[in-house]
Amino acid sequence: MNALEPLVGEARERLVARAKREGLVTVGYAVADSPLGPLWVAVGPRGVVNIHYGTTPDQRELARITHAYGPGVLPDRRSCDRVLTELDQYFAGRRRSFDVPVDLAPLTSFQQRILAATARVPYGELATYKFVARRAGNEQASRAAGAALGANPIPIVVPCHRIVATDGSLGGYAGGLAAKRRLLALERGEAEVPAGGWPPSRR
Amino acid sequence: MTFGELLERHEREIFAYVLRLTGNRAEADDLFQETFLAAFRAWPPPRAGNERAWLYKIATNKAIDRVRQTRRVVPLGDLRLAAPERDGVTLSDLATAVRALPTGQRAAFVLRKVEGRPYAEIADTLGCSEEAARSRVAEAMKKLKEAMR
Repeated sequence: MNALEPLVGEARERLVARAKREGLVTVGYAVADSPLGPLWVAVGPRGVVNIHYGTTPDQRELARITHAYGPGVLPDRRSCDRVLTELDQYFAGRRRSFDVPVDLAPLTSFQQRILAATARVPYGELATYKFVARRAGNEQASRAAGAALGANPIPIVVPCHRIVATDGSLGGYAGGLAAKRRLLALERGEAEVPAGGWPPSRR
Repeated sequence: MTFGELLERHEREIFAYVLRLTGNRAEADDLFQETFLAAFRAWPPPRAGNERAWLYKIATNKAIDRVRQTRRVVPLGDLRLAAPERDGVTLSDLATAVRALPTGQRAAFVLRKVEGRPYAEIADTLGCSEEAARSRVAEAMKKLKEAMR
């Protein structure tokens, strides 16, 4: 590691604190370690705006965030503390639902209704795309429900991994189907997360 | 682009640059913050793809502003660098002499001789002609040689 690195880190922390005091920061982000690999997590003034599998944000999601909240999207672990803690507890099997507020405001009202219906599917249970479409007010719209869930900006916290096809097949998942299986097994109490997380090849 | 991306992409080199300009960590830290906050307030960057040059320009101007405000320029004649009882000059003598340069010359010197930037880029950063950038570097070199004598 470069000798300059800790100095830059401290300078950045002070910069972020000052930008916050001046009201310039709107969204803080951090990269969390999870048993499914790194997660890019962003929290805005009204709650969690994005969780993305990987160390960097999805550019389309980022465009949505800056469209809603301006360019003040800054690395800031502190504003992510709460959701990071809840994610840790979830992966350790000590949390069955998330209390941290989520911000779905930039989405269309149909997407919001689909995700709200998804959020009500209890821990460890499964529902179908058709079921959430019905709960969102349009039973015929299961394909659109699938699309809305595929674009779920806050996976894990909004548990789209609990939604499967009517024939029982898994459907899709942003983090990959292996991740979806892991989450479902975790919630059924069938899989303890090994120390250090699941091996990447099998995620 | 978000401010966070700009920060993550350029924070290391801008910090290294302001550290060389100021020669001390506390001032570098202040200058670093002033630079990025000014960039933030002036958002968006004037030309996409040219954010780096934009940040260097802001940092240089902020460094010059600070010197103007605090008027802490040490006239080179006041320096007693090469004490007669010493064998030679040391790196810290050189650092002191670099710090004593007027900010414009110091920035030109650092950009050219430490960071190895082309003159066109230095001119752009300092808001002067290439010729003026060359003469600032030359003037800085001359003063440093005098100070090291």
